[in-house]
Amino acid sequence: MKKQSRLKIVAASAILLGGMAFLVVAMTRSTSMRHFTPALLVAAGDEAHDQRVQVDGLIAEESAQWDAVNFKLTFAIRDRETEATVHVIYEDRLKPDNFKDGGSVFVEGKYDATQNLVVATKLMTKCASKYEGAESAVPTDETSYTSE
Amino acid sequence: MTAEIGQAAIYLSVLSCSWAIGFLSFGLWIRNARAIQSGRNAVVATFILISIATGALIYGFVTDDFSMKYVVEVSSAAQPVLYKIAALWGAMSGSLLFWLWLLTVGGAIVVWQNYQRNKQTQDTLADYSLIPIAIVQLFFTILVTGLIDGIYNPLARFPGGQVAADGQGMNPLLQTPLMAIHPPTLYIGWISLTIPFAFAVGALVSGRIGSGWILRSRRWMLFSWIILTIGITLGGNWAYQELGWGGYWAWDPVENASFMPWLLGTAYLHSVMIQEKRNMLKLWNILLITLAFQFTLLGTFITRSGIITSVHAFGGSGIGGYFLSFIFASTAGVIGLIIYRWNRLKSANRLESLLSRESAFLLNNWLLVGLTLIILWGTLWPVISEAINGEKSSVPEAFFNKVVIIPGLLLLFLTGAGPIISWKKITANNFRRMFLMPLVIGLIGGALTWGFLALIGYTFPLYSVLCSFAAVFVFAAIFAEFYRGAKLRAKRQETSFVNGLNLLIQRNKRRYGGYIIHIGIVILYIGIMGSKGYFLLESQTVTLGGSMEVGKYKLTMIDAFEKEYSNYLRSGVIFDVEKNGKHIGTMEPALHAYYAAKPDEEPTKESAIQHLGVNDLYIALASVPRNIKTGGVVNVQVYYNPLIGIVWIGVAVMVLGGIVAIAEKSERSEDS
Repeated sequence: MKKQSRLKIVAASAILLGGMAFLVVAMTRSTSMRHFTPALLVAAGDEAHDQRVQVDGLIAEESAQWDAVNFKLTFAIRDRETEATVHVIYEDRLKPDNFKDGGSVFVEGKYDATQNLVVATKLMTKCASKYEGAESAVPTDETSYTSE
Repeated sequence: MTAEIGQAAIYLSVLSCSWAIGFLSFGLWIRNARAIQSGRNAVVATFILISIATGALIYGFVTDDFSMKYVVEVSSAAQPVLYKIAALWGAMSGSLLFWLWLLTVGGAIVVWQNYQRNKQTQDTLADYSLIPIAIVQLFFTILVTGLIDGIYNPLARFPGGQVAADGQGMNPLLQTPLMAIHPPTLYIGWISLTIPFAFAVGALVSGRIGSGWILRSRRWMLFSWIILTIGITLGGNWAYQELGWGGYWAWDPVENASFMPWLLGTAYLHSVMIQEKRNMLKLWNILLITLAFQFTLLGTFITRSGIITSVHAFGGSGIGGYFLSFIFASTAGVIGLIIYRWNRLKSANRLESLLSRESAFLLNNWLLVGLTLIILWGTLWPVISEAINGEKSSVPEAFFNKVVIIPGLLLLFLTGAGPIISWKKITANNFRRMFLMPLVIGLIGGALTWGFLALIGYTFPLYSVLCSFAAVFVFAAIFAEFYRGAKLRAKRQETSFVNGLNLLIQRNKRRYGGYIIHIGIVILYIGIMGSKGYFLLESQTVTLGGSMEVGKYKLTMIDAFEKEYSNYLRSGVIFDVEKNGKHIGTMEPALHAYYAAKPDEEPTKESAIQHLGVNDLYIALASVPRNIKTGGVVNVQVYYNPLIGIVWIGVAVMVLGGIVAIAEKSERSEDS
C-alpha cells in the first residue's frame, strides 16, 4: 500500500472528526442553557438577565392564571426548598396536561431579571405523584412524557 | 399461590443461569460434550422458569390480585384486559422481568438453532456465545429477585397479607394500542442485539475471529434492526397522536436512548460487509457490536435511573448504579478479551484509496458513530456540564436539529454513492458509467425543487436544496443499479424485464434488500425535510361558529360534544374544514378524561388528524369549557404538516427492504 494514500485517509478522517467535534462544541456553546432552581435564579439576578435558562420547581399555589381569550398562561414557579419564586409567562401554546397547583414544572425561556420573569418557550409538567407515595418509590420515565 | 410459584421460579433461575455459565465454560474448557449439553439444557431451563414467573405475573393482572404490589402499581380492576397485560411493562420491576423473559427466549432460540445446525456439523461457536447470554440473563435475574436495593420483586405481595381495594391503574397516556406495542417492540429490538454481541464475545473466547460469527449472527442483527426501526417509529407516531404538540420527534432522552443503538446497529450492518469482502475491520466490528449492546443498557440506565429526566444527581435510585457497574464490567471483559486475542485481530488488507467502496463504508461508519456520540453528548450534557464547571445546563431540541444536518446530509449522499462506487479504487470509467448520470439528474432535481419552493413562496435554506439534490441523486443511482442488473438478468435468461428484476432480487436478497432500505431512507429524509422544515402553526382562540385560517385551509367550529365510554369521558369540538371555499371534511379534536385518573391528572389530548394526501392537518385542543354553547372560548393549536405521510411511507419501505434482506438464509458471503 502506498504511504501517500494512507496519509490522505488519516488526514480526511481527522478533518471529518475534527469538523464534527468543532460543530458540537460550537452548537453546545450557542444553545446550552443553564439550569436553575427559582432560588438560584433570583440569586443570580442580573448575571442571568436576558439569557436563556431552564427553571425547575413547583407551580406556586393559586398563582396560575389561564387567560383563554388571549391564549396566555401566567404563573409563578416556587422553589422546592425556599420561599423564592419566579414569574412565568407562556403565550400562544396550549396549557399542558397535568398543570396543577403544587405540581412539578419545568420551563425553558429567556429570563428578564428586572421583572423576575421568564418568558417561556417550552413548558413541561411532570405528574410525579403518579408513582411516588405508592408502596414503592420506583422512578419511571413515563412520568416525564407530557411536554409542551 | 401463583405469585409464590413465580417468585420461586425467579430464585431458581439464578441457579440455572449460574449452572449454564459454569457448565458451558467447564465443558468447553475440557471439551466434554456432556457438560456442554448440560449447560445448554440450563439455558432452556432458565427460559422455562422465567416464562413461569412472567405467566404468574400476567395471571395476577388478569385476576386483579391486589395483594401484589406491582399489580396495584400499574393495573386497576377497570382497566381493559389488553392494558392489564401491557401493564407488565408499565413500570420498573415488571419491565425488567419482561426484558429478562425476552432474553431467555433469545437464549432458547440460539440453543435450538444450534441443535438444528449440529445435526450436520459440530460447531461450538454458539455454545461459547451462550455464556455471555447467560451472564446477561443472570444480571437481570438478580435485579428482579428483589434482593437488591431499589427494585422489588415484581411478584412480591404487600407485607402482612394486606390487600388493596383497587389498583392505581396505568397512566392514561399509555392506554392506547400504540403504547401497548411500542415498548415491547423496542425491547425485542434491543434484546436481539444481545445475540450478535454474544457471538462476538464467543468468537473472541474461542479465538475464531473470521467471518463465522458475523455470518452466524447476521440475521439476528438484521432482525434487531428491523424491529428497532419499527419500534422507534411507533414511538414517534404515538407522540404525534397523543401528546398534542404536532411533532413526532423531539430529541427527548427516551427517544435518543432508542435511537443510538439503532445508529450503531446500522453502522455495524455496513462494516461487517467489509470484513466479509476484504477481511478488514475485525477489531472494529467487535467494538461496534459491543458498543451497540452497551448502548441498549446505557439507554435503560439513562431513562430509568433518573439522572436526566429528574434534576437529582446520580445514585438517587438503586438501579442506575447496577446498570453502570454492569456496563463497566462487561466492557472491561470485552477489552480484556480483545487484548488477549490481539494478534488474531489484525487486518490482512488495508484501505487502498480514499475514493473506494471501502472508504465509503468507513465514512458511513465514522458518521454514524459520530452522530451517536453527538447525540450522547447532547443527552448527557446536563451531567457533563455539571462535571465541568458545577453548573447544570441542558441543550434544547434546536441543538440536535442543527448539529445533525451536515452529518445527516453526508450520510444521505453516501446512501447513493456507496452502492455504485467501485471497490479498492474508483476509476474514471466507474465514475463516468455510474456517477455521471445520477449526479446530473440530482442537480436538475435539486434546481427544480429550489425553483418550485421559490415559486410557491417558501424559503429555501441551503440544506433543503442540498437535501433535494442528494435525494434525487440517490434515487437515480439506486434505480440505475436495479435497472442495469434486471436488464442483464433478463438478457441472460431470455426473459422479461420484470422477471429479470425478480430474479435479480431473489438471487441476492441481502444486497437488493439493502438497496430498498436505501430508497426508504431517501423517502424518509424528504418527509423529515418537509414536516420539520415547512410546517405551519396557528394558535387561536375560537368560539362556536367562529373560524380560523391555516395556510390554504379554513376551519370553522360548528359543534361541541360529550360522550361516555367504558373507562373515559370524551369531550371535544367539531371543525368543518374548507380548502379554497370547498368543504373537504370535518375534524374532531377531543379530550379523554379517564374515570380511574387521580384528581391531579388532567384529561389526555386526543388530537384530530386529517390526512390530505401526504400532508396532515392537525388540531390539538386545550379544554372544552362548560359554557361552550353560550359563547365560551376554546383554545386550539392547528398544525399543517407537509409531507409527514412520507415519513411513515419511508419507514415502511425501509422495513420492507429489511424483510427482503433477512429472507436470505444462507451463511455464505454475498456473491458478485
